[in-house]
Amino acid sequence: MVRFKSRYLLCEVCVPDRSSLQLLEDRTIYNTLRAAVNRAHGDYGSALFNIGVIVKYLNAHTGVVLIRSRKKHYRLIWSALSFITCLENRGQKVQCFLNCLHVGGTIRTCQKFLVKYNRQQLHRMLPDCKTDAEKQEVRRAILSCSLSNVREEEADEDGSDDDGDEET
Amino acid sequence: MTGAKDRMREKKMKNQPRNVIYTSSGRSTGRGQGSQACGWVRGHQPGGHSYSQDLPKYITASSFAKARAAEVNAMLKAVSKPAGSCHIFTALPKHMRRRALSHSTKRLPSRLREGAQRLAERSQRAPEKEKKQEPRSRSRRARRRHGNLLLEFNRRQRKNKWLETHIWHAKRFHMLKTWSYCLPLKPTAKSFRASYRAMNTHALLQDLSYFCCLELQGSEEEMLRALARLTSKQTGPTFAAASCLSGARQGSVHLYKADQFPEGSLGPADFLWRPRVPDASDRQLWIWIHPALKQDVLSELQLVCQCFEAVSVSEESRPALELPAGRKRKRDEADAEQPSKRLLGDGTRPAGAPVRWQSPDTAITISDLTMEIVRYRLIGPLAHVVLTDTLHPASEEPSSRSTDEAGVSVHQQQTDIFQLLRGVCSTAELPAGCVLGLTVDDPRLTLPQKRGKSVPDLQQSAEDSGVRDLTLKGVAAHCSQSALWDASARDRVTHNRLSEQELNRRRTELLVPGSRLSAAPQAAVPLLLVHQGGRVRGEERLHWGSGWDLLLPKGWGMAFWVPLVYRGVRVGGLHMSVKHSQFMGQPHFPHDYPDCPAGQRFQSEQEAELLQKFKRRPPSKRTNYIKHGCLAPFRCPWQQLMEEWEELLNMSAETTGSCRTGPFTVLRSLKALRRLSAWSHPSSRRSSSALTHATAAALQKECRASLVWVRLRLLGKGQPALHAMVCIPTTSDLQLLLKDAHSSGPQEPQHKDHIKRLRQTTTGPEDPARAVRGVYPAPLPSVLPHCSRLTLGWVTQGDFSLAAGCGEALAFISVSGLLHTILQQPQEQRGLVLLRNPSSLQYRFARISIDV
Repeated sequence: MVRFKSRYLLCEVCVPDRSSLQLLEDRTIYNTLRAAVNRAHGDYGSALFNIGVIVKYLNAHTGVVLIRSRKKHYRLIWSALSFITCLENRGQKVQCFLNCLHVGGTIRTCQKFLVKYNRQQLHRMLPDCKTDAEKQEVRRAILSCSLSNVREEEADEDGSDDDGDEET
Repeated sequence: MTGAKDRMREKKMKNQPRNVIYTSSGRSTGRGQGSQACGWVRGHQPGGHSYSQDLPKYITASSFAKARAAEVNAMLKAVSKPAGSCHIFTALPKHMRRRALSHSTKRLPSRLREGAQRLAERSQRAPEKEKKQEPRSRSRRARRRHGNLLLEFNRRQRKNKWLETHIWHAKRFHMLKTWSYCLPLKPTAKSFRASYRAMNTHALLQDLSYFCCLELQGSEEEMLRALARLTSKQTGPTFAAASCLSGARQGSVHLYKADQFPEGSLGPADFLWRPRVPDASDRQLWIWIHPALKQDVLSELQLVCQCFEAVSVSEESRPALELPAGRKRKRDEADAEQPSKRLLGDGTRPAGAPVRWQSPDTAITISDLTMEIVRYRLIGPLAHVVLTDTLHPASEEPSSRSTDEAGVSVHQQQTDIFQLLRGVCSTAELPAGCVLGLTVDDPRLTLPQKRGKSVPDLQQSAEDSGVRDLTLKGVAAHCSQSALWDASARDRVTHNRLSEQELNRRRTELLVPGSRLSAAPQAAVPLLLVHQGGRVRGEERLHWGSGWDLLLPKGWGMAFWVPLVYRGVRVGGLHMSVKHSQFMGQPHFPHDYPDCPAGQRFQSEQEAELLQKFKRRPPSKRTNYIKHGCLAPFRCPWQQLMEEWEELLNMSAETTGSCRTGPFTVLRSLKALRRLSAWSHPSSRRSSSALTHATAAALQKECRASLVWVRLRLLGKGQPALHAMVCIPTTSDLQLLLKDAHSSGPQEPQHKDHIKRLRQTTTGPEDPARAVRGVYPAPLPSVLPHCSRLTLGWVTQGDFSLAAGCGEALAFISVSGLLHTILQQPQEQRGLVLLRNPSSLQYRFARISIDV
């Protein structure tokens, strides 16, 4: 049985100014990536891009992007990532670069990695906090991650949690 | 189906996190950093996002942390809950999972087995739940239980009335839904010739209960005065004919709208007076009309008798409490409380519709007896033999009905006459229209074991004086009396009918199986036997197609039908009754009544039907009526024909009289018909009024713009079809015939199809009326001179006549055209015309005869 194997590139959008991240959309990323591939690899690259590349997940708050491509050509796409200097959306240019965190064979592995990575980030944030309120927030966030993790592993079907939305 | 696929996909993807972006909806401002769900979509987001919302300038660490935490949670949720699969199979470690687990739960460890079984059940039920909630229909057995079937049949009768013999017919006939009835049309077996043979030599049975009966009650003078406005003496005997008034004969009249003779014709009707009862002064009259006519005639009658106030209304049929004779299985009492009853009578009448009207001035009551009386028609020379075999006069006379000696003797006299019928050789010998009332036993009691064919009894001699009296004088008036005329007697008899179940139970209780059942005293059925004369007009084949009509109270339909069928009669439908009229040479309602409103409605329906059939064929396989020169293959434009003949004759006669542009009529006055009939005969015997121009002109002035019903008989080859053209032969044609008696006739040159050429040249938008290729578009050109021979009229019924042995057609011809033709023809060849089918170019010679 032949199946189409894909590779999922977990990337992070790094911007100097965090506020300009809000304009992120998966269409934006897609178009920028296509332009970059076209510039770097020409017509061949555009054709390959057309086949199997799609932006699967996007989080504008944290800047996490999950791109999917075919296994044969993921290195090509990966190499074009480094050529992206700015994201353009509706006439507003944002200077950024895409940092590839992880390459996985399935979405699930990328998700697992993202969990680990986010936890690490949170832990790293704690000593950098300036005010007390911030520290409390961060602690609360860490706790919510880990406790719900434990909770979920015990219960069978738990539909009670939302997406962790906490209101200010 | 995309619905199911989408739902499966959604089910699998419900745990996956969705794109988290900023959107412009108000919800996000309210909830702060709320994430908007946009779904895992391939490609672009639906709808545009406008960034009108104020984006926060700074993202603090706390918000960043929160965002990260939220993402982590979402990911965890996605990861930990496997997509689509249930927990049963994920509870097993990977090395213990097998493929066969999904369909056989026995391979699971016992702790997981119940869960898996529950899951299997749920998955079985799941696709049903996803479908639309259909009403669960009962099993076939439940649907076919007797009570439920009855309810279903009663429901189906709301729209189209069913005859009592509907189910018997539905199994053997093609049915047709017209005139708010569901009627048998043709047998499913191929039996045209067999039915004709039955009509000719044995007997044919038809169920005519769809004819509507209107009953009038009141004093004789009032009724006659009112009804005289609806008929005219010129068309023949009216309601006041002497033989019919006593009640000894059935008569037939043609009804017109009040005081509008000769225009405003409504249609034919049969009528029957009740014989005079010595003490009562009121008389009863039954008028039998075709259901297509019913509303027109009813409104005219109401107008004429001034009966407008409705006295009684129809009520809902309540199911009577009836204990079934023997119960096969025990049912709880609640079930047997209200068994459903078969709908008898008119089911389409809404409850509350008036059935009886009374007039305060003239004291006449009109009642609507539709479907109250069952009418069977037996056609053929051995019809009386079938009747004498099937019916047995009641052995005991119930004492409640007649108290004095005179009453008993009436029944005895009726029985005697009935016995005398066996001695008659053929039904045609009896005088037409004689009526015999009778009280008979239930014919199911003497049902033969096997079907047979009733043969005439050769023992009884025809020289018996009683038989001779019967054939010469008919039945005396007092013997036509019957209890069928009383509504109360009818209801009582209907109510007292034994059900089939009860009858069968009695049969099982007989000591000697197969012997005759004893008759129940209350179940003597009153009925009326009405003789139908067949062909009464004309000179050939007189009394062909005579028969007997059997009138019964409602509810007894099937009880009489099955015994009649067991005596070897053929059964015919609507098709056969049309053929019967055709072989008799009489017009059949509503096909052959173009001047009546019901006839015109029928013609429009027939036109639509024929056009539909024509359009169904592919255009290259259709007959091109334009090239054949046939202007009206589907509907005959009588009005146009009349007007053109008037114009032609006015121009030739140079009279300054204004031609009547009123609606055309059909000539029915007997005097005029007799004269026309005599003139169109080629015999050279002396007739009372010789044909000259003067007499012809007089006749023409008398009946202007009228059609006459003629019978055409082809001289040689040829089979006339529907709407064939009747044309005038030229002198050269007649000379051709003189030279060679077997010549086939002239031929029409082919016309050119102008319409086709017109359509090819003009490419503008065409109105849909012109779209039918091969048929003349709506405003027809001049009818008369269109073909090489002048048109006289059209054929309404045409076929090869098995009775005559050659092609016969029944047609309507314009009177003026006929007179014009006859005047120009030599004496020996008077009455010869040409006949041409719509799809042929060959003219055939035919001879006219008008039956009077």
